[in-house]
Formats: sequence, structure tokens, C-alpha cells
Amino acid sequence: MTRITPDRVVGIGALVLAVIAPFIVSSYWVGALLTQMLFLGIVAASLIFLSAYGGMISLAQVAVYGIAGFVVGNATTNGNTKGLNLGWNPWWGVIAGIAIAVGVGLLFGALASRSVGIYFLMITLTYSVIANLTFGQVTDVSGFGGISGIPAPGAIGRVEAHQNRLYYVALVAAFLVYLLLRYVARTPFGLTLQGVRDDPIRMASLGYNVNLHRTIAFGFASFVASIGGVLFVWWNGHIDPASIDLGATIDVLVIAVIGGLYRLEGAWVGALFFVIVNNYSQQISFIGPRFHTLIGAIFLLIVLVSPGGLVGLWERALELASGTHKEPSDRTPIEVGPVESHV
Amino acid sequence: MNALKSKWKLVTLAALVVLAAASVLATTATARSSASTIKIAVLSDCQGAFGSFDNQDMAGVVTAMAQFAGAKAKNPNKPRDGWTGGSINGHPLKLVGVGCSNDRADTAIKETKRLMEQLGADILIGPLSGDESIAVANYAKQHPNKTFVDGSAGAQDTTLKVRAPNFFRFNGDGAMWNAGLGDLAHNKLGWKTAAVIADDYSFAWTSAAGFIAEFCAVGGNVTKRVFPPLNTTDYSSYAQQMPTNVDGTFVAVGGAGLIPFLKAYEQAHGPIDGKKFIGNLFWGTPGQFEQLSTRVAGAYVGGAGTAGDLATKAAKAYNAQVGKVFKTIPPYGAAAPQAASTFTYGFYVNTWGLLAGLKANGGNIAGGQKSLQAAIKKVRLATPYGPLYLDKNNQAVINVFYQQLYEKGGKLAVKTVGEIPGVTQTFGGTFSSSTPAPGRTNPKCVKRSLPWIGKTIHPPVTG
Amino acid sequence: MTDVSKAEIAEPILRLRGIGRRFGGLHAVRDVDLDVAHGERRAILGPNGAGKTTLFNVISGDVGPSSGTIDFLGEDVSVLPPRARAKLGMGRTYQKSRSFLGMTVEDNLYLAVLGTRSGHFRPISLRKRDGEMRDRARELADAVGLGGRFGELVGSLSHGEQRQLEVGMARASNPHLMMLDEPASGLSRGERVALTELLLSLDPAITLILIEHDMDVALRVADRVTMMHDGRVIVEGTPDEIRANQTVHDLYLGRGNHSDV
Repeated sequence: MTRITPDRVVGIGALVLAVIAPFIVSSYWVGALLTQMLFLGIVAASLIFLSAYGGMISLAQVAVYGIAGFVVGNATTNGNTKGLNLGWNPWWGVIAGIAIAVGVGLLFGALASRSVGIYFLMITLTYSVIANLTFGQVTDVSGFGGISGIPAPGAIGRVEAHQNRLYYVALVAAFLVYLLLRYVARTPFGLTLQGVRDDPIRMASLGYNVNLHRTIAFGFASFVASIGGVLFVWWNGHIDPASIDLGATIDVLVIAVIGGLYRLEGAWVGALFFVIVNNYSQQISFIGPRFHTLIGAIFLLIVLVSPGGLVGLWERALELASGTHKEPSDRTPIEVGPVESHV
Repeated sequence: MNALKSKWKLVTLAALVVLAAASVLATTATARSSASTIKIAVLSDCQGAFGSFDNQDMAGVVTAMAQFAGAKAKNPNKPRDGWTGGSINGHPLKLVGVGCSNDRADTAIKETKRLMEQLGADILIGPLSGDESIAVANYAKQHPNKTFVDGSAGAQDTTLKVRAPNFFRFNGDGAMWNAGLGDLAHNKLGWKTAAVIADDYSFAWTSAAGFIAEFCAVGGNVTKRVFPPLNTTDYSSYAQQMPTNVDGTFVAVGGAGLIPFLKAYEQAHGPIDGKKFIGNLFWGTPGQFEQLSTRVAGAYVGGAGTAGDLATKAAKAYNAQVGKVFKTIPPYGAAAPQAASTFTYGFYVNTWGLLAGLKANGGNIAGGQKSLQAAIKKVRLATPYGPLYLDKNNQAVINVFYQQLYEKGGKLAVKTVGEIPGVTQTFGGTFSSSTPAPGRTNPKCVKRSLPWIGKTIHPPVTG
Repeated sequence: MTDVSKAEIAEPILRLRGIGRRFGGLHAVRDVDLDVAHGERRAILGPNGAGKTTLFNVISGDVGPSSGTIDFLGEDVSVLPPRARAKLGMGRTYQKSRSFLGMTVEDNLYLAVLGTRSGHFRPISLRKRDGEMRDRARELADAVGLGGRFGELVGSLSHGEQRQLEVGMARASNPHLMMLDEPASGLSRGERVALTELLLSLDPAITLILIEHDMDVALRVADRVTMMHDGRVIVEGTPDEIRANQTVHDLYLGRGNHSDV
């Protein structure tokens, strides 16, 4: 386990850079870009987990993240003109937000678990539209204008005054999520999920409850996504239906694909790339409002050049450098086609 | 073994690239300009429902900069390019960035962060629309050492509820802009009952609240309130819900939804009788109201605190001033006729208020901008549309105008017919920080006294 | 096997009565009665389209029967899902390899072992329990001749090795009934011999049902043969009886007995 590989060196290097970032880059970079990268990466990681280990490309991750965010917003604000204004302790808000998001995720998962491929994608897209419209319509909990002034817990303090604190909280959360997802992949639950991904019919005849397994995996990914949602509302102090609209849904998919849909690390690589391009393209006057055109073009380029995303490029570079080029089929691509029936 | 070596070469190279990139970013990000420069950012909408008014926003800002701080428009045909020159008491006013939002609070916050934190602006002018401004005012509260003036946003909560001490609004809110309409409907048009339809979001709620509060205050009764979601495309089910057994209907459906709503209403209930309708500002917005066609002639229209046809010296001078700084404001053509647009004027008067404050304190933004904020609070302006001062919530008290649509040479035209001086946000105590925010069921319909009832004057107009 | 009582042994382990299965207008299986005794080696023969694989799928629960009942170990399992039948002691392979190509031989066998046990959703590794299951996976790999390829990705195995793995996976749950769907298909002559040896070496207490086109394999392994045609059972008997049967010759053997699919 202690073998030194280029992957590991780069990984540890990235982690060290992330830890010392507040001492080398500006506070805007830490407070706005890097923190955003961390929680967007967590959401994208939940998508990559589902897709790489479960063969499920979900467009509902942003909906789930939004549900957690809205619950936190409603539970912890007080004296606002919108929302339920429950005024709870922020930590209770976190627990409620994650619990409700996981509950809804399990329900979503149960309804979608019988579908695969394009049908699964469509059903989860529906979830994201439903969540967006519901929060837009139900003015008791949000409405068009959303919830503002959402506080972070006292230990983190006012996010504006102590940007590094939220950054480190997000960094720890992202790191733990990464370790958790890697760990779970090797447990009976994770191995079973990979079996379900590769061949659900075979798994059923081996004694597994395939739909239940998919449902629980969806609930687990919802747990991860909801952590991202909590960090998002702490960071933003505000959430409204536009935070989880179709654009936001697509953004997370773009992050996952640009980073690489086959490896968890891709989530944060893609997120970093995304926030930097998003931020700096606004300064270029002829791109500014056309950010989505730009990121769409990059998305297309990446899909064509490296289906494994930026992480895939890195892997390929390593293989070329060491002359051990492997066929891409070594990594199981995601099965999206429905399994053929046997007559 | 060779393969392994080249692998490590690659890793080293990657590490070097990352380090170089990090150090470049670190140095660019920490570069700070000289202390005496005042860095200003503008938050406009260049996408979404109001994206086409982007240049009007900037035209308002730059006109004020030219008039009160000696700046020059960079391009007389493209307001978005900003200004050059311009200073207060020797402190250069530098435009560090123009944000691009899309009427969504979420985007407005992201852009505000970028402008204030990355580009290091000291002062923000904006945003354009209601929910954006609530979010930005909340942001302002968290950043007491920076100063914010509104752009043209008219949600009531922004100043009445959020009450950030460093967020100032020199334009009215949506309710104030409709002052005088309830009095008009009940006491002049003889409406006893009315129905209300409004978009389901804070600005339209505020807009409807202005009509409802006043109409009910003078004894009218609102029997039905309908709230279609913003960006609805098919209004037929909402039009069906509108009662016809009322004396009149108040419509606060904005932007792209207005024409489809009127069509759906005609399909449901037959031809529209203009005299039985009152609309909010969208019925009179240049570039949009022409499409309503003459079927709505006779309808009254709430304003936005502006009156393009006002024949006073100050109003004419303002129109000329906009025409002097800009030739055209794309995409709507010649600049001067767009001076009275909600957006041009809103950004203009807010920038003016800011500059007046800077002038009063000698352009001093030191000390967490506390001296500047105190100075802005005391600003009084003689605006093209009457005198203006700020109340204790940093909300302007203004004169409000309403218009009427009429037919002129087979086309729809608009003229200002009423002016209500000294409109306050509280509607004589109807709204306060402790009353429920305007929404689907608020305000309630209750009779009470309002300070300006019966005091509408008929201002001189051109044409 | 050890817990099967004497009383049950007198009963057939598997009893089908009136099994039919339609796919739209296609009557893939019709009115099949079948009794398989404990420990029996049964081969099911028949030309392509005879309904053999559909019958397998109905028995394992991958598809439900349109009519008829299935009794397994004296219990009616007609409406149970495949996973429940697996837990009762059915194991099967598929005509086309259905192992998990993106995982190692070890993980494939591990999943096969875990399938009929509890703890599918356990999100933590337990050294003792997982170690025991991995030991079992190792035994199975050795038993089917894949001990040397334990850590390899299944995608990199040869076709023959994948068939061996399938057999190993079907055995993993110690099933009472093992159903192998054309285990020899696509194998070289040498591989067929190896596979036949593997099948003959199976624990005699395991009941085996085998669909096989290769007569050498089928008739060597089986002690009873069921012949299907057009969805029906047309003949049943010992290998010798089958070899002597005229109908079988007309339908099947006459057309060359090595008709690989």
C-alpha cells in the first residue's frame, strides 16, 4: 500500500497545495474560487460515484443538493421575509438538511431504480426540473426570490470575515468524502454496486436485490451531494430556484465530464477548471455573457479528445511516458444500454 | 526502468507548471492600486428578462458621472464601455468592472462577489431587479466597509426589511411607483371592486401591493388575486380565473408575459375595454407598450417615478443631458428619448446620489467608508422629477407620476396625467418593518387614511 | 446438501407442471412437464429456437411463466424473484458469459459467494467475514482452474477461462441445483475436454441441468436427457435411449452433431 506512484505523488502534492493555499493565493481565490471548487467537486463526486460504480448517470444531484440547501436555509434563518424562519441552531439545520435530502434521494432512487441508460437520465432530469419548479412555486419555503441571509455555524463564524475557516471546513469535508467514496467502493456494498453496474440480471440470479441496491446507492450519493448543498448555502448565504435550475444541473454534469467520469479525483479537477474558466472568462468582454458557449465548446472538445476527461488525459500521458499504453477498455466504460432480454 | 524515469519527469514538469501558475495568480491577485483612487463597479443585467436594458443601465451611470464628476463616455454609442476621467476632490473614479446578471438573485450574488472581492471595488452601483437587490442588500449587510447604491430595483424588502446601513436607494419601490392609482380607480373611475393579477415574485408582489393598499384604503375591495409564475408562456388558465363581475382589473404582469396574458384574457372574456384596466409600469415602458396596440387605449398606467413628457425645465434638461453624453443607447436607438426609462433614470439617480455623498465628504473612503455613508444618508437632490431625500431606511422619498394610454394617429401613445408629491415607502404606516412582506395574500384589504389621497396634481406635459 | 432430508430425496428436486411462456405471438415454451431427481445430471437438447434457454430463464426466475407451476425442493417458487430462488439453492450460468468484466476474478467470485449470504448493503469491510468469503473465492478459483488468474480483470481472460469462471460462480453458493446454459459453447476442443472433466468432478450431491449442443459433452456428463422441439418436450430418456431414438435423429443428430451455435 505504501508504493510510491506518480498518481499518489500528484495527489499528495495537490492536497499539500490545497492546505497551504490561503498563504499563497489571494483571499478572493480562497474565499470564492477554491471554496466553490471544493463543494462543487463534492456534488460532482456524488455523480461520478453513481456513474463509475453504479452505471447511473444522474441529473438529480443538483436537485438533492438544493433540497439540503433549502432545508438549511428555512431551518436556520430568522426574521427574514421569506421562508419558514425556524431560526434553529445551524448544526440542527445541517442534520435536518442532510436527513431530508437523503430521504428524498431514497424516494427518487426507488422510483428510478428500474430504469437504465437514457431512461434513467430522463427520470433524473425530471427530478431536477420538479425540484426547481417546486421551490419556485411554493412561496412558503422559497419562491422566485429564494432565501437570503443564511448563517454558517458559530464555529465558522461570519463567512465574509473568516473566509479561511469555511475553506478549511470545505477542504476537510471534500477530503473525507473522497476517502469515504474510495473506501465504500471496496466494501461489500460498493462491490455489489459494481456488479449491478456490469450485469444486473446476473446479479439477480446470484441472489441480489438489484433495484433495492440501486435505490440505496442513490440515497448514499444523495448524502454526499447534500454535504455539498450545505457548504453551498453557508458559502453563498443565499439560495433560490435559479441555484438549482437546469443550468446548474448541466454545470455539474459538465464538471464531472471535464474532470473525468471514471475517477473520483476528476470531480475536483473538473470543478477547479470550471470555476477558473467561469470567473476569468467574465473579464474578457467578448466572452463574458457567453460563458456557457465557451464551456460547451470545451466540453465538446474534451469528450472528443479524451472521454476520460482531464484525469483521463493525465493517465494517458503517464502511459505514453512509460510506454505502457493500455487499451482504454481496461477501464470499464459506463454501460448505458438496456440489458438484452433472453428469449 | 526507463519508462519509470520518464514518468517521473512528467510529474516534475506538471509540478513546476502548477507552481508557476500559482505564483502568477498570487501576484496578480494581490496587486493593489493607489489608495486615493475610488474603485466603482456596476451590477447590471445583460441576460434574462431585462438583458436588453443593459446599455440603458450604463447610460444612466455614465450620464451622472459626466454631469457630476467630469467624466466622459468612452463610446457615445455604447454605454456599456463605461467612462474615462472623472474625479471627486482629486480622487479618480475608476470603473473596475460591470457585472452581468440575469434577474436571478443567485447570479447577482456571484457577480457581486466577483466585483467586490476579486476586482476589489469600493462601491457598487446596482442591481437592476427586485430579488437581486434583496440578495445584494443582504450581502451589503455582511460587508459594512463597502458602500452600495441601488440601480433600478424596486422590491420593497430591499430597504424596508433588510435595512442594511450601507445600502442606499434613490429610486422608489414598486408599491411607491403605483401611488395615486387606488385613489384614481376608486374616486375618479368609480371602481368599487377590482381584481388583481401579478407575477409571482417580489417585484410584482410589491407593485400589486401599492395598488391594493391604496385602493382598499379609500374604500375599494379587491375580490380576487391571481399570481401566475414569472415566465409563464400560456396564460389561458390564469385568464379564465379572472372575474368579469368587477369594476376593473389591475395588471402587474411584466416583460414578456404581458402581451400573451392580454391575448389569453381576450380569448376568455372577449375584447378588452381599456378604461377597465390599470397596468403597472410595463404598460408604459418605451419599446414595449407600443406592442399592446390600441385595444388598451384609455387604460391608466403606473409609473416608475419618471415622466418622459414632463414639461418642466429640470426634466427637459435631464433628457438633453442624456442626449449630450450618448448619441444612441442600443438596441433601442436614439439616446434622449430613453432618458425617462426606469432603468436609465434609476441608475442615473442612484449614481447621482452616490456622487453627491462623495462630494459632501470630499471623496473620503477611509475609515470603513463610515464618513461616506453618513454623507450619503444626508443627501438631498433636486431631481428632474422633483425633490428627493432618504428616509431612515436609506429609501428615497419621491414624487410619483402616472400615465394614460391613448390613441394618436392609429397608434398607441402615452401621456402623463397625474403627479403625487412626497410618496413614502410606508404608505402612511401601511407598510413597516414588522408588517408582513408583500406576497400572495399580503397586504390585506383594509380601509385607512393615506397622506396623499386627493392631493394628485396635474403636471405640465409636452405634446 | 447435507440438510436435505431423506423424505425430500424421494421427491424430485425440481418439478415443472404445464409450464408455458409466450413472448407476444411467439410461444417459446409450451406445456412442459419436467421432473429432475436429487443428484441427477440432466441434459436438455434441442435445435436452436427449441425453447431451452427460455425454459432455463423461467426456472431461474429471470422471466416469469405465462402458465404452469414450478416446485423447487417441494416449494412452489413460480412467482419468486430470481434472488429468492438463488437463496433457496439455485445457481446458474448463461449462454453468453455474464461475469463482471470490469472486475477481477477474485471480486467476481467474491460477489458470487456473497450473493446468497446476508450483508449486501454492508458499507464497511470486516476483516474476518470478508476474509472468509475471499478464502472461499480462492478455493472456487482453484477448483475451476483459475487459481493463477485470481487477480486478473475478467475482461482480460480468454473465452474458455470466462466459461470456467461462470461455473465457479454458479457453484459459489453451494447450490442444490446448478443450471449450466451451453457451458462449452465457443470453446476449443482442448477446452471442451477440460470443461467436461470439470463437470464430472462436481460433487455428486449437486443436481445438474445442462443445455448443451456438443453431444460429446452432453452425453458424457448426463445420466438423463430431455429433448425439446418447438417449445415442447418430445422425448426423455437415458443417453443410450436418446441415441437410439428415431425422432431425435431426424430432428437433430441427423444434421451433424457438432452444430455450435
